[in-house]
Amino acid sequence: MPTVFEAPEINWAAIAPMLVVMAGGLIGIVVEAFVPRRRRHSVQVALSVVALVLAFVALVTLTVDNRVKTLGGSVVMDGMSVFLQGSLIVFGLLGVLTMAEKFGGDRPDAFTPMGAAIPGSAYEAAADRAGLATSEVFPLALFSLSGMMMFVAAGDLITMFVALEVLSLPLYVLVGLARRRRLLSQEASLKYFLLGAFASAFFLFGSALLYGYAATTDLDGIAAAITETRPGLEPLLVPAILLVLVGLLFKVGAVPFHSWTPDAYQGAPTPVTGFMAAATKLAAFGAILRFVYVGVEGTRWSWEVGLAVIAALTMVVGAVLSVTQTDIKRLLAYSSIAHAGFILVGVLAFSTLGLRGVMFYLLAYGLMTIAAFAIVSMVRQGGTEATQLSQWAGLGQRHPILAATFGFLLLAFAGIPLTSGFTAKFAAFAPAIESGTLGVVLVVIGVLASAVTAFVYVRIIVLMYFSDATSEDVVAAEASPLTTAAVAVGAVATVVLGIVPGPVLELAAQASELIR
Amino acid sequence: MTFLVTAAAAEPGAAPAYAWLLIGLPLLGAAILLLGGRKTDSFGPLLATGLSWASFVLALPLLFAMLGRAPEDRAVEHVLYSWIRAGSFQLDAGILIDPLSMSFVLLITFVGSLIHVYSLGYMKDDPGHVRHEGHTLSAWEESRQPSERRRFFAYLNLFIAAMLLLVLANSYPLLFVGWEGVGLASYLLIGFWNHNPAYATAANKAFIVNRVGDMGVIAAIMAMFAAFGATDFAGVGAAAAEADTGVLVLIGLLLLLGATGKSAQFPLQSWLGDAMAGPTPVSALIHAATMVTAGVYLIVRSAPIFNNAPTAQTAVAVIGAVTLLYGAVVGMAKDDIKKALAASTMSQIGYMMLAAGLGPAGYAYAIFHLLTHGFFKAGMFLGAGSVMHGMKDEVNMRRFGGLSTFMKITWITFGLGWLAILGVPPFSGFWSKDAIIETAFIGEGIRPWLLGGAALVGAGITAFYMSRLFFMTFHGKRRWSERDYHPHESPPTMTVPMMVLAAGSALLGLILAWPFAETKPIVAWLEPVVGYGGSEAEPVLAIPVIIALTLIFVAIGAFVAYRMYIQEDVPTTAPVGSWGTQAARADLYQEEVNRTLFEQPGVALVHGLEHTDRSGVDGTVGGLATWIGDLSSRLRRIQNGFARSYALTMLTGVVLFLGAVWVMQ
Amino acid sequence: MSLVNYIYLSAILFSIGGAVVLLRRNAIIVFMGVELMLNAANLAFITFARMHGQLDGQVIALFVMVVASAEVVVGLAIIMAIFRSRRSASIDNANLLKA
Repeated sequence: MPTVFEAPEINWAAIAPMLVVMAGGLIGIVVEAFVPRRRRHSVQVALSVVALVLAFVALVTLTVDNRVKTLGGSVVMDGMSVFLQGSLIVFGLLGVLTMAEKFGGDRPDAFTPMGAAIPGSAYEAAADRAGLATSEVFPLALFSLSGMMMFVAAGDLITMFVALEVLSLPLYVLVGLARRRRLLSQEASLKYFLLGAFASAFFLFGSALLYGYAATTDLDGIAAAITETRPGLEPLLVPAILLVLVGLLFKVGAVPFHSWTPDAYQGAPTPVTGFMAAATKLAAFGAILRFVYVGVEGTRWSWEVGLAVIAALTMVVGAVLSVTQTDIKRLLAYSSIAHAGFILVGVLAFSTLGLRGVMFYLLAYGLMTIAAFAIVSMVRQGGTEATQLSQWAGLGQRHPILAATFGFLLLAFAGIPLTSGFTAKFAAFAPAIESGTLGVVLVVIGVLASAVTAFVYVRIIVLMYFSDATSEDVVAAEASPLTTAAVAVGAVATVVLGIVPGPVLELAAQASELIR
Repeated sequence: MTFLVTAAAAEPGAAPAYAWLLIGLPLLGAAILLLGGRKTDSFGPLLATGLSWASFVLALPLLFAMLGRAPEDRAVEHVLYSWIRAGSFQLDAGILIDPLSMSFVLLITFVGSLIHVYSLGYMKDDPGHVRHEGHTLSAWEESRQPSERRRFFAYLNLFIAAMLLLVLANSYPLLFVGWEGVGLASYLLIGFWNHNPAYATAANKAFIVNRVGDMGVIAAIMAMFAAFGATDFAGVGAAAAEADTGVLVLIGLLLLLGATGKSAQFPLQSWLGDAMAGPTPVSALIHAATMVTAGVYLIVRSAPIFNNAPTAQTAVAVIGAVTLLYGAVVGMAKDDIKKALAASTMSQIGYMMLAAGLGPAGYAYAIFHLLTHGFFKAGMFLGAGSVMHGMKDEVNMRRFGGLSTFMKITWITFGLGWLAILGVPPFSGFWSKDAIIETAFIGEGIRPWLLGGAALVGAGITAFYMSRLFFMTFHGKRRWSERDYHPHESPPTMTVPMMVLAAGSALLGLILAWPFAETKPIVAWLEPVVGYGGSEAEPVLAIPVIIALTLIFVAIGAFVAYRMYIQEDVPTTAPVGSWGTQAARADLYQEEVNRTLFEQPGVALVHGLEHTDRSGVDGTVGGLATWIGDLSSRLRRIQNGFARSYALTMLTGVVLFLGAVWVMQ
Repeated sequence: MSLVNYIYLSAILFSIGGAVVLLRRNAIIVFMGVELMLNAANLAFITFARMHGQLDGQVIALFVMVVASAEVVVGLAIIMAIFRSRRSASIDNANLLKA
């Protein structure tokens, strides 16, 4: 029995981006305590942006050349980590921009002045009058982001668990902070929290069983243990893997662990929904890739089909359920479920190319999602977001550019050529086809499911352009440069990744290496 | 089938890089006009016309270079850049210039440029136009305002660019980009006078019906990708040779769905008549000569798929035969000159589809008829526009009559088009239509009799309704008063393009089917791309008999029209007519059928998305979609809002996941 | 007593926790069910650490406890907020979001 703990080696350059983001969040808390209320919002936004930019700079200057395992193997900064962390920082930046939007008011438009107040109470009204604002959303977002960055780089199951909680806890709170429709927001928060905790219990119990099997929680150690025979412990292995996968699949919103997705997406403040949809999905897929590719690939034959069934179910259920949705946020939530299925198809390719395709897909999908939700947050009726689809009728006549951008993003979701959605689907599906019969079957299902979703998206375009408005007062709020920038970046990236995806695919190809 | 020659020789040579300018020039024109704002009002239309001609001129050296090469080396490719690379899958954005695409390029740029010229006159405010006091600008007059004209020419250029991309693309996804582009341009141009709600509705209808077809193309592309792992023409062609027939039939039928939408074929034809709401030059260019024939192009380009999927091929032929009769019957009853021409377009494209469905024996003739039709139908549409120009935008043929003395050039040019579409020798329609009818009679069993018979009867009906149109417009008594109308000939910018097209209507067929050559030049020209198998089989009737029968049917049709519309007076208001006439006037009630199938869900979608909860099937098309909608409503019940039930779903999932994996072990 | 029995106990505790989540309506009790599941995992970690003769598992249990307490803080805050606005801690009452 070892009695002495040895201090692990720490490669500071490699983990600098995570530290910067985390420090940004911590300083944000100090700001919350000491900076006068009037200036808090602008200071927080500036701080978050600076922290994220610094983190990105650190990533491209320090981390890219320090691709190592560090902190005793619990953090692995390989190509995949770098690529995904870079994408996460970009998502975080766009997310912060959309969260800071005021729409001409004196405080962030999406968030309640006082999260603790009872909706509709005198206390809330007083807080509103006093001009309070929940500027703590920015540190919360930074903490969540740092958790995500850790999640994609986690080299052992316990780091992964801690990262999972670090990314989830702030999100639970953020989901409950919507300014309008408070009850829905709180309900979304409660459901997301309870189900999230439930899912992480499965993850943890699975980790415990894997630890029992392998005598280590290190993914390399587990991979090594799988190659040996372990008398008496063999029955633990497959259930353990499945339980861990359940915890991870919950986060990506795979069927049948998806039920929280539509509710949380609908109830959350729209900028948070966009951030969550883009960043959480990417982080969770990063963890799935690492767990599956590094940790347990050795026993792939025993659970591969199960995962394939989940992928198929996810695509089909997500696509089919989006057909009857009447709320735009819910519809995008079901579409995100279907996309999770498409990405899982790429994961199941079990090849470097699959890894590359999945990473590209995650980046492309995240960019278009943030832009799409930013547009959703702009469309208003009487000051409230007009999320009912019927309210979007005729939007194209009044706001041609906005509607055209949204329509274009929808086409990207549908995977129409010349959009990043198309390239991404190719990049993820092609390796799956090469992987064998199972992959071909999945791709066929995926193709059919995308035909269904394409129909759904085209319906919205038709609605926006070819029907008369149900009421005249549905308008797009005048967006500040913040939201405009986020939408523009998302839309331009969607065009560029559709027409000249070469450089980014190349980047993803260089990044598709995993340090074992 | 030994005579199958699959598309595109294995390794096409390199095309010069400047070939991209074919697409780039009109696109540049559209960009300048749309982004340049009012500054370009003065020279914009001329610039657009010039760039369109430039594109045509640019095509000529490519054509001569192609003629200079041996037939099997004629296909050349230029890859702009690598669009998508994923594993061994690679998709390049590139253009493929072979005799098939070159034929289209010449047709599009030549006819397109002529129509640009024509539009210069047509869209200009005519000084001879009588302006009453206190008269507010009509939509039509407003469209002649400088900035509106600029927008119009920008859309025309955009259309040319998109159409060229469609035919020059070397892969299905890139073709689809052009396919959507022409749809967009067509939509913009139909709705050009969008202050008029009826026109906007027509644009919507075209949009929605076309989306149904587009779903087919998307699904086909995805199916190709899933089945072959390739979506470029060369890759698909190679893979199709050894693919499973079932897969090929599926892909073929999906492509056919796309083609029926774009080419207004049964059962997705309803939009074409309404699309006549657009300006007449648009009808001539997009809805007669080029865009609507894209479906035929798609089928012919997919020859390797259809050749190995006989079921899908037969479906193409049947759709073509049904549409050619359908369009002809509808055409008999229309009093609106443009709608009658639209019905005739539908019917003529039916002939092309029929030919394309006959396999290698028919592909070349499908394209042949497409080219001659492009000339004579565009010419007649321009003629109709010229008549409308002189008749204050009147479209009701019952208010025309005896116009031949007032607009001589229009009368003669229209007359040449009329002779061509009737199939009177030696005008161009004779050569191309006759070839299709002969080929339709090839085969065994009852099939040649049905297909050939349909083509033969269709020729007779065509003769009737086109003669009806011609006589009602230019001959017989004047059914208009000198007080209200001042018919006059159009300016040279309009008549010169009409004359050029009329010359094409008269001569193109003879040139392309030069009867003294061993093989018809058009067949020899297209053979390296689509193959030719006609020489091995003989029609069930002797060829002279078929020709004679056709001419007899045509003569009867024209004679009946002569009796009815020249010798007898035409009432200025349409008589109630028999139920047959009424049915034909109402597009054979297709509208009603479509309303139930497509529009009602569409309307319900638009007006009642809130009600989807209850019905759950709104906005869906056909049984499968209904089924999906149904499934969706059922699945929604699982999402019941109770967190505990969500947890139960998860737990069930976990148990099933564990159980299933345990059982499999 | 064999160490394996502790594993069985932990599996039973985990199942009880799961059952609590499914069966109880009060959000706080549901949450306690989740905590029970986490602690069942802790018991498994410690037992396995003992089996393998390592300390890792015990350290992990400490980590989990810290994380769980953080979760409690956030969870109780959310439950409190919803209790105050709805005057009820029943999770079945919160079902405005559905379908």
